[in-house]
Amino acid sequence: MEAKRFLSLFVIAWILVSASAAWLRAQEKSPDLTYEIWVDLDDQNKMLSGKEEIIWRNTTQDDVGDMWFHLYFNAFKNKKSTMLQEKPGLSVREGTWGWIDVTTIQLADGTDLSSSMEFMREDKPKHPEDQTVMRILFPEPVKPGEAVHLQLTFLSKIPRTIERSGYYQSSYFIAQWFPKPGVYEEGVGWNCHEYHDHSEFYADFAHFTVHITVPENFVVGSSGKELKVVSDPESKTATHTYQQNKIHDFAWMTAPHYLKIERDFKAVDQVSVEEYEEVARALQLPVEEIKLPNVKMFLLIAPEHEKQIDRHFKALEAALKYYGLWYGPYPYETITMVDPPFRTGSGGMEYPTFFTGGTSILASHDVLSPEGVIIHEFGHGYWYGMVANNEFEEAWLDEGINTYSTGKVAAAAYGPGEIPLGINRIPLNGLFKLPRYYDYHLNRIAGLMVVKMDPITTYSWQFYNSMSYGGNVYMRAATCLETLERLVGNDTMLRILRRFQMRYRFRHPKTQDFIDVVNEITQRDFNWFFEEFFFGTHDFDYSVSSLTSTNKKKHFRGVYDVSGEKEELTKENISELKDREKETQTDDIFVTTVKVRRLGEARVGGDIPVELKVVFEDESEEHRYWKGQGRWKSFTFEKPVKARYAQIDPDTAWLLDSNISNNSCKLKRSCRGVFKFASQLIFFIQNGIHLFTGLI
Amino acid sequence: MTIARLFKRSVNTTLTKSRMAVYLWLFNVIFGLLIAAPFCFMIRNEASRSLMGDRLIRGIDFNFLGDLITKYSDSGALLSGGIIMPIFLFILLSLFFNGGIIGRLFAETEKPNLKDFLSDGARYYFRFFRVFIISLFVYGLVFGLLFRMIGSIFEAWTKNAVSEWPLIWAANLKFIILLLLFSIIRMFFDYVRIRLVAEDSKKTIRATFLTFGFVFKRFFKTWALYITAAAVTLSFGVIYLLGVKIIPNSGILFIVLLLWQQFYVISKMWTKILFFSGEYHLFKQVENSAV
Repeated sequence: MEAKRFLSLFVIAWILVSASAAWLRAQEKSPDLTYEIWVDLDDQNKMLSGKEEIIWRNTTQDDVGDMWFHLYFNAFKNKKSTMLQEKPGLSVREGTWGWIDVTTIQLADGTDLSSSMEFMREDKPKHPEDQTVMRILFPEPVKPGEAVHLQLTFLSKIPRTIERSGYYQSSYFIAQWFPKPGVYEEGVGWNCHEYHDHSEFYADFAHFTVHITVPENFVVGSSGKELKVVSDPESKTATHTYQQNKIHDFAWMTAPHYLKIERDFKAVDQVSVEEYEEVARALQLPVEEIKLPNVKMFLLIAPEHEKQIDRHFKALEAALKYYGLWYGPYPYETITMVDPPFRTGSGGMEYPTFFTGGTSILASHDVLSPEGVIIHEFGHGYWYGMVANNEFEEAWLDEGINTYSTGKVAAAAYGPGEIPLGINRIPLNGLFKLPRYYDYHLNRIAGLMVVKMDPITTYSWQFYNSMSYGGNVYMRAATCLETLERLVGNDTMLRILRRFQMRYRFRHPKTQDFIDVVNEITQRDFNWFFEEFFFGTHDFDYSVSSLTSTNKKKHFRGVYDVSGEKEELTKENISELKDREKETQTDDIFVTTVKVRRLGEARVGGDIPVELKVVFEDESEEHRYWKGQGRWKSFTFEKPVKARYAQIDPDTAWLLDSNISNNSCKLKRSCRGVFKFASQLIFFIQNGIHLFTGLI
Repeated sequence: MTIARLFKRSVNTTLTKSRMAVYLWLFNVIFGLLIAAPFCFMIRNEASRSLMGDRLIRGIDFNFLGDLITKYSDSGALLSGGIIMPIFLFILLSLFFNGGIIGRLFAETEKPNLKDFLSDGARYYFRFFRVFIISLFVYGLVFGLLFRMIGSIFEAWTKNAVSEWPLIWAANLKFIILLLLFSIIRMFFDYVRIRLVAEDSKKTIRATFLTFGFVFKRFFKTWALYITAAAVTLSFGVIYLLGVKIIPNSGILFIVLLLWQQFYVISKMWTKILFFSGEYHLFKQVENSAV
């Protein structure tokens, strides 16, 4: 019996171990998408000619009969592309258009597929002549688990930069340049949107090997890790080979006369034991689990920005440190940061393991530029790079989270930055005492201005205008997250973002996945929060509308029944009674009444009430809570002292509140602050009118 | 007379006529208050019973700024109209002050008083208004055509630039040229006004043509004098900024900052008189030597 039981246990254990091993093997199996690309740059004619091999495995249960590709360069082909239709005012110089032609496409066995090529335009509103999405049909559907091996050749004309990618003279920034399949979604089909003005990208994780051939005197920077450089003295070219697994895009730049500097991010020098312990405590994780790896950092920088090399690396180190500590270790061996080549219009953009910053020769030391953009674009390696949401459909998931994260990292590394001020590219910050700000201050201002325009979760190209897209997706979303952090606490917010990052690393999460993580970590229901602020367009504004503190009345005029008789209490009677009471009683009682109102349509929800704090003259405090669903509520306090002020949301958790000024009400007006503000305004106006009169 | 001696004499005259700077400052403050008043009341309504009002003591509060922007973002046109219209009115008013300044400079031996200052302002107002209209035409011509031509030269220079440096140089050279052109036109019309007062003439077009000869015959002298006065203005600005760096912006010392700011405004008014004073002395010297 015992032996039988032992045998059963052994069998179960064996099955479990085998299943785990199979699962682990599945995790390490060959990638579902593999690219090998050979590309030649023709500097003279601004052309790219390429050869591409794609192996795509069908990991769904669908039979897949076609494949959709992005041909992003066709956005720059003519004024009828979706992008240029959405940007009608954009002027493009003659002879600088860009395009891409797939010249051949076949299966590895030689079956030609080019006759099935057609351009697709599924996005609405329709742009019937857009050529940024192409479909091909397979002779036989690709069955679940099967792989298809495609061989393509393509020819591209590089545009003089219109958006993100292009050339200026002999400097190139090459992004969204190769035919790239969309993302196949089980039961739905290919998710492959046109190249829109207000949108970024979406693709599947893949293993990339890319061979880039450029003139031999050109410096090259790229996604991934450089494996080798082979020079060809005859053609005076060099072929740089890069490789990287688990990335979903591949971009590169090349230019002559560029500086390429390499440094190491050594975790041991960057993070102290105390810092590890502090973050581990906040994340409720063992220190070992949050240890950072070393990373090879590359910087490609224009020679005229050479003095800012240290500044660039310091910002990148801060980003590697804090993103790594808070959201999860950086998993790649390299990170390449590019000071964008002059006039290539490629600054401030992210690609996996590779991003562009942007600076000026005379950058002020008081302003966090280029630091802010470096931190932000590196951060996209986490939010978009590794947690790869669909930027066409839910851009806030990377832009909003990353704008929020950028603010956190910049604040931790640098503190508040100064408002930039300059004339003709010459910074004037040193001359003036300018106010300092944290990112969330400006995010709030920009975010509040677009609340009523669109929900944050609108498809990127369907926002009302550019301001609504930028304001909602970046700033309003970041302000929502800052508010969420203040509601749940900093440590909990860290755990939310880390869980979201680690769970969805190398996957494609959606908004609901983020909401689920919030609910899971907080153990509370925050669906209402997202419903109200991410899917809604309502203004959020609670206020203290009035505060009064008056002596408690004990006697009221009128007729009363006293011992069966009608007795009138007159003003005189009352004052006599008061005089008598004064002799016996010393303390007055004050009745403080506070009225709070909900002025906006948006409401608090879940288990989060509106907190009211009332501070009295003796410094005592009273706290009350209101569910905030109605339009107003009155609170009454009886105390031997008058109130000093009443305040809702005393910790300013609700940055989404469109009017924080009306969150408090003092019993007595005080104008010192107003006087100071007004006096500076007057001085400003005095100077202004004097300046204008100087014109005559 | 050398530039230095002319400048010294104009400083002395300005010092003796400094009272006019106080008049100008007073009008500037009053007008500033008038423009600012609606905004100040608005801020008072928003913040005086709010804890936000107390936070403003520490300086600008970005949450307060956000509240204002959100609340009044739809009233942008109204607000900017509320600023631009009064500024335009003040430009017209300053024609009046120019009359007062030049008129009192010509009354060399007299100490200026408010009554005479105002009556001179009134006497020359319409002549100066005509000069203002002519100057607008010249500004339009110079900045609409000449400056655009200059701009196209810079554009050709920066068109194929390989780095940011040419852009920085071009932008700043253009800016300097703009300032220099502006200073020349401004100076030119100052002399037109001085001539009108000197000759007690109402013929503005004639005065403009005569001034053309006057200024461009001795361009470097007139302009050097103007630039010297501009340098004084600039140095007052630098001194002001240094002071601002030192004076704390909080507590009771904020009052010191307020006073410092108003001294700075007065210094600007003083240099306005200095400009006219230098031009007056040069004009008088040339006219006397011609006689």
